[in-house]
Amino acid sequence: MSFMKELTKGIVKENPTFVIVLGMCPTLATTTSVNNAIGMGLAATFVLVCSNIMISLIRKITPDKIRIPVYVIVIAAFVSIVDMVMAAYLPDLHKALGLFIPLIVVNCIIMGRAEAFASKNGVMDSMADGIGMGLGFTLALILVSSFREILGNGTWAGMKVMPDIYNPMLMAVLPAGAFITLGLLMAAINNLKEKYL
Amino acid sequence: MKVFLRLGLTLLGFCVVATALLAYVNYVTEPLIEQQKKTAAEQTMSKLIPGAVFEPITIHTGKDSLVYYIAKDEKTGDIKGYTFTAAKPGYSSIVKTMAAIDTNFKIINIQVIEQSETPGLGANCTKPEFSAKFPDLSPDDLILAKDGGKFVGITGATITTRAVTNSLREAIKLIQKDVESRTTTSSKEAKK
Amino acid sequence: MNTLSQILVLAISAIFIQNFVLSRFLGLCPYLGVSTKMESAFGMGMAVIFVMTMASAFCSLIYKYLLVPYNITYLSTLAFILTIAALVQFVEMFILKNSPSLYKALGVYLPLITTNCAVLGVAILNITPLPDGSTYNFLFATLNGFFSGVGFTFVLLVMAAIRERLALVDLPKSMRGFAHGMILAGTMALAFSGFIGLKI
Repeated sequence: MSFMKELTKGIVKENPTFVIVLGMCPTLATTTSVNNAIGMGLAATFVLVCSNIMISLIRKITPDKIRIPVYVIVIAAFVSIVDMVMAAYLPDLHKALGLFIPLIVVNCIIMGRAEAFASKNGVMDSMADGIGMGLGFTLALILVSSFREILGNGTWAGMKVMPDIYNPMLMAVLPAGAFITLGLLMAAINNLKEKYL
Repeated sequence: MKVFLRLGLTLLGFCVVATALLAYVNYVTEPLIEQQKKTAAEQTMSKLIPGAVFEPITIHTGKDSLVYYIAKDEKTGDIKGYTFTAAKPGYSSIVKTMAAIDTNFKIINIQVIEQSETPGLGANCTKPEFSAKFPDLSPDDLILAKDGGKFVGITGATITTRAVTNSLREAIKLIQKDVESRTTTSSKEAKK
Repeated sequence: MNTLSQILVLAISAIFIQNFVLSRFLGLCPYLGVSTKMESAFGMGMAVIFVMTMASAFCSLIYKYLLVPYNITYLSTLAFILTIAALVQFVEMFILKNSPSLYKALGVYLPLITTNCAVLGVAILNITPLPDGSTYNFLFATLNGFFSGVGFTFVLLVMAAIRERLALVDLPKSMRGFAHGMILAGTMALAFSGFIGLKI
């Protein structure tokens, strides 16, 4: 049962973006379109799941003093793998995400989960935690990018959703729009939390 | 001291394993990445001039050099035209355009292949509506209406449009000069 | 263009046009986390300038003399993050031993910097080919690190100044904290987007 519990907590109750407020940089930079957001979310999820499993496996043989450098090595290795595989099979997405793929290394969500969860729990639970947190992050990215892409470009995941008469609000896809969209979304979520939780 | 040594060796062990893993992944993906880059360029070229094989030629002009490709018909070997890549700084990035011209140095088609201009304004230069303005233009038509010519570009993105037209015009003139010098020398040789 | 004017161009573009926080979205966690007080913002800013300059210099050397000659550039992410982590660690020990007063001012912020994506970001940007296919040499990589750090500190200080003044504003409950910080950052980004397209 605990597997399901660990899996679902990351999606709503402990959502890494909106509740714990970690990993802001990719949330703002890669949400200009829904497709980029999904790509970024899945890449981070893959790294998160792999590193959580790996760190949980080696938690008994890792000396406590050097655990942080070991985590960094594990995470950086998986990030490099994602980087290379994406460049080989999904070159367009790789180009769009650019700098932010290697920067998954310093995404606080991954390091945070390694330190706070995977280093203390079993392999299955850590995997569930990784999947849950990863999906929570991906969903948050999709939510932010949906607003930005629909407002700024009149499309959703490349499909036209707004009528022709709609004049796209450019600001939403510019950097300024990213901050303001995320700020308003956070306020909305805080408001919902106050009312219903 | 012994503790430090053991910690150091453990850390080294992790590094070695990680490096070995990465080396393996790199070994598998590197040729694929190269292939991707090549096919991406080739695909754009054959979209501009279908059914042709491309032969690279380099022009040296002072410090710079320009590579263009002679497009020859797959079957007959006749010269169908030339393709090249031209780049100039636009509003917030370098705008790179790949273009194909015919043997009279008129544009067959163009495609902006690299840019990070303002989304919704300058970035519209990748849309087919923009590319559609170019076919059949000769280099002298590639002057913006604002600069005294007659080319009407994207509204609100004069600088991006100017980057594309100017880079294309200059490149076409260079190629024209090079091609003409080649044909005159070869015809002279033929006379001999 | 001579070297001096190239450096000036680099400085203006790193500080204003391609500002790390407002146009590249790097280093947002400290930007929103440490910008509530002017004093701590200043300490963080100085620590970031210092580490970014050092990290750019070291990573540029490692890339040029270790990774490229042995054809192992695919290890760059791994090598850079380890370099930065080790560097931060050494800097911390060095400052602690030699200048306790400086340690008191910067010490708390140093461990946080390892996970500041602006530092790894500048190291990777320095080895990313420019549009004309070349990469920054050692001098320009180091300067790029320095000026990017200055750009980061600049917007961090402005943000801290704004937030200090707005600390007592009566906001709706759900707007407080991060949400408000985001909106402020958005307004600043809007102002900074005026620098894009500056012809220099």
